[in-house]
Amino acid sequence: MAKLVRHTKENMERNKMKKLIVLLAMLITGCSTIKDSYLMTKFDANEYQLITQIRIDSRYSINDCDNFFAAKNDAAVVAKETELFALYSEHLPHNGDSYKAAQALNEIAQGLVKRYTAGEKVSTQFCKLKFEGIEHSADLIQTVLGGRPR
Amino acid sequence: MSLDEIYAGLDQLANCGDDTFANAAKYVKETSIAAQAGQMTASELTETMQDIQKQMMIIEDINQLQYKEHLNTLINGIITVASFAL
Repeated sequence: MAKLVRHTKENMERNKMKKLIVLLAMLITGCSTIKDSYLMTKFDANEYQLITQIRIDSRYSINDCDNFFAAKNDAAVVAKETELFALYSEHLPHNGDSYKAAQALNEIAQGLVKRYTAGEKVSTQFCKLKFEGIEHSADLIQTVLGGRPR
Repeated sequence: MSLDEIYAGLDQLANCGDDTFANAAKYVKETSIAAQAGQMTASELTETMQDIQKQMMIIEDINQLQYKEHLNTLINGIITVASFAL
């Protein structure tokens, strides 16, 4: 008799869990937020390395803002890296938010290199603000990429 | 809107209690003052302001990702619990 009661209890627990899984499956397929969260891109070491590279290069580039040619070269390097990061992120599945952030970061970086390429006089203050902005944004993005599920 | 009114609005935002917006407001004001002092051209100031808008977009995208990461952890937690129970 005790065995039967235990068996019945176990069956009830199993049924509860099955219902929960079915409910989850419904939520996953029916609610895009949950679906996106469940299927979200896992930690990608290449993506993480790219954003770290952008962060460190923009950090050290601030020191060259007084020197036109060095700053021009730095701006080109960082802009190429942000473009690479955006292109790399673009086709990773379920990576929409990260790609949007990568695009915005790339736009910020391209703005500086355009001015240098056009031969414009770029003020030291503007150059510093650009690299600071890129570094700050890269830091934010890196934090989130690093927290992705493994 | 005059520059004084804009600065007053930025001061108000700088004391709003939200660190992100307070820092952004301070940054906008300092940058604008620097441009007025001749440290930047008008065109550079405009681009800097547009960059701040882009940085706000990045923060928005990042927040979305953080929520998704958190939810993902919780969903995986439920799945783990369910797989042990079955």
